[in-house]
Amino acid sequence: MATSAPLDTDVAIETAEHIVFRYRVAGPARRLLAYALDLVFCYGAFAIVAELLVAVSLGAERAAGVAEQVSAASVGIVLVMLFAAQWVYFAAFEGWRGRTPGKAVFGLAVVSTTGRPVGPRAAVLRNVLRAADALPLAYTAGLASVAALLSMTMTKRFQRLGDLVAGTMVVVPDRALPMAPVVLWPPAQPGEAEALPEEVRLDAEERQAIEMFLRRRARLGRARELELAAMIAPMLGARFGSRAVSDDPARALALYYHRDAGGEARQDARNPGPAADRTAT
Amino acid sequence: MTPSKASEVAFVEARQREWGELDDTIRAAGKRRGKGLPPAALSRFSPLYRDVCADLSRAQAAGFSGTLIDYLQGLTASAHALLYADAGGDGGRVRSAGAAIRAAIEAFPRAVRRHKVAMAVAFVLFFMPFVGGLLGALASHTFAARVVPEAQLRPMVEAYAHGFGTDRGAGADAEMAGYYVDNNVGIALRCFATGIALGLGSAFYLVENGLITGAIVGYVTAHGAGGNILTFIVGHSSLELGAIVLAGGAGLSLGWSIVSPGARTRLESLQANARDVSTVVFGAAAMLVVAAAVEGFWSASDLPAAVKRVVGGLLFLVVVAYLTLAGRDRARDGAPWT
Repeated sequence: MATSAPLDTDVAIETAEHIVFRYRVAGPARRLLAYALDLVFCYGAFAIVAELLVAVSLGAERAAGVAEQVSAASVGIVLVMLFAAQWVYFAAFEGWRGRTPGKAVFGLAVVSTTGRPVGPRAAVLRNVLRAADALPLAYTAGLASVAALLSMTMTKRFQRLGDLVAGTMVVVPDRALPMAPVVLWPPAQPGEAEALPEEVRLDAEERQAIEMFLRRRARLGRARELELAAMIAPMLGARFGSRAVSDDPARALALYYHRDAGGEARQDARNPGPAADRTAT
Repeated sequence: MTPSKASEVAFVEARQREWGELDDTIRAAGKRRGKGLPPAALSRFSPLYRDVCADLSRAQAAGFSGTLIDYLQGLTASAHALLYADAGGDGGRVRSAGAAIRAAIEAFPRAVRRHKVAMAVAFVLFFMPFVGGLLGALASHTFAARVVPEAQLRPMVEAYAHGFGTDRGAGADAEMAGYYVDNNVGIALRCFATGIALGLGSAFYLVENGLITGAIVGYVTAHGAGGNILTFIVGHSSLELGAIVLAGGAGLSLGWSIVSPGARTRLESLQANARDVSTVVFGAAAMLVVAAAVEGFWSASDLPAAVKRVVGGLLFLVVVAYLTLAGRDRARDGAPWT
């Protein structure tokens, strides 16, 4: 919509088809949670296999002579797994599916800054660079990664050093579902319909703002709902030159919105949907 | 233009079926990942995608409701990701596995030669301290202890003085190979990654590892086990130390691409160079995995010292020849591998 840069964390991607779509960039907090969860998965799996190896070694102790060899070999396997947990897990999952299990849980995905899926090379690069992102406290599993946080605060796509080098970013690729239209409930009362001006003209931004408000009002809390609605309902009322259509500014906005939609307000009133205008996103 | 809600409803009604079809295709592709789409869906996909692009444009231009535009944007983004997935940002081409392996084997030495200045600097940064540590430890009994904790040094002398016993079995070999993978590949990757700090991190790790390695070899030699340690390290050192130097060189190159970006912006220069130099890092990691196997299972075996030294010497020549000569015939040293 907005032609100027919006005040949010979206990144616009222009495709070869000259279509611009937006990705919401993931912030450090969500990414840190996903990272912590990945560490749990990764080292949890590691711990389970390590336990099994211990069990096997203990079992081998009863068998004659080979106990030492088996337990030593187990240590070798554990060390290789430790390496995989540190260096392979993230790169492999991101190269394969574009997201680690932890990222999947938090609805995150890695894409290139041009909006394409991350390739295997970029996936490995951005994860090898974790070693630099973890500086200066390099051996704390990266949870206290000062360099990464600094880099993320200084780049507009929240890129850590690995993202900068590999040309990637972490986004929240939420797929909106087609939503039911906002329904006026209860239907316009005779008094309200009378008070409404014949013609209500809202421009696109106003319509969208009011629609967003109507979809979200159920989650706002009554006081906040009224506070927000009171900011624009009187303004619109003055513009349309009508007397107050309702004591409740939120209700007034709903009425304006539906009157703007022309005959549909009446149509919706006849067939109120089950969720009425409490249709949340 | 004031948008009419009636026209939006008509628009959605007219187009909804195709959006649903595209959405189903995308979800199906997510489940069939790697196997590709069935031919019928494949031939429909491109027109569906183009149409949804046009729909998004139209919805944006007409100022339709935010939720509709959000929905179309999400759909377009997913379709875009699927359509361009195979490019993967790497310009991936369909190749047989054999051809891909062959290309990778040739790409590694080519990439090393493209960055030969950085590799030479890394070589110096590693081997100057190495020689310094070696000579220092040979000349002074207290020198090595200042570089490496003495508690680590003493067991090494005992181990090397003891020679290559028969008491260490395959299990212990596997243990050590695992340790070398974890430790050495980790060092190499860290050595590369920290190069982003204008090359300083790589330089630090190169000097540190060179000094420590030199001091240990010198210390063990000074304690009379020089022959044994030579026999031990000759097999894998060309791979292992070579790979550390190459990874460090890759890190230096990474740092230099920020310092001296040429005609590009610093970020573009960094990204382009990282993509190119990552081939060296992958190659170095592969070398270290091989080195770990050699070090765990061959270097520690009780084969005659002469055999180990001859084989180690030959392996050194093979490594040098591979890095300097492999892939040269195609005269493509200058062309980056994609």
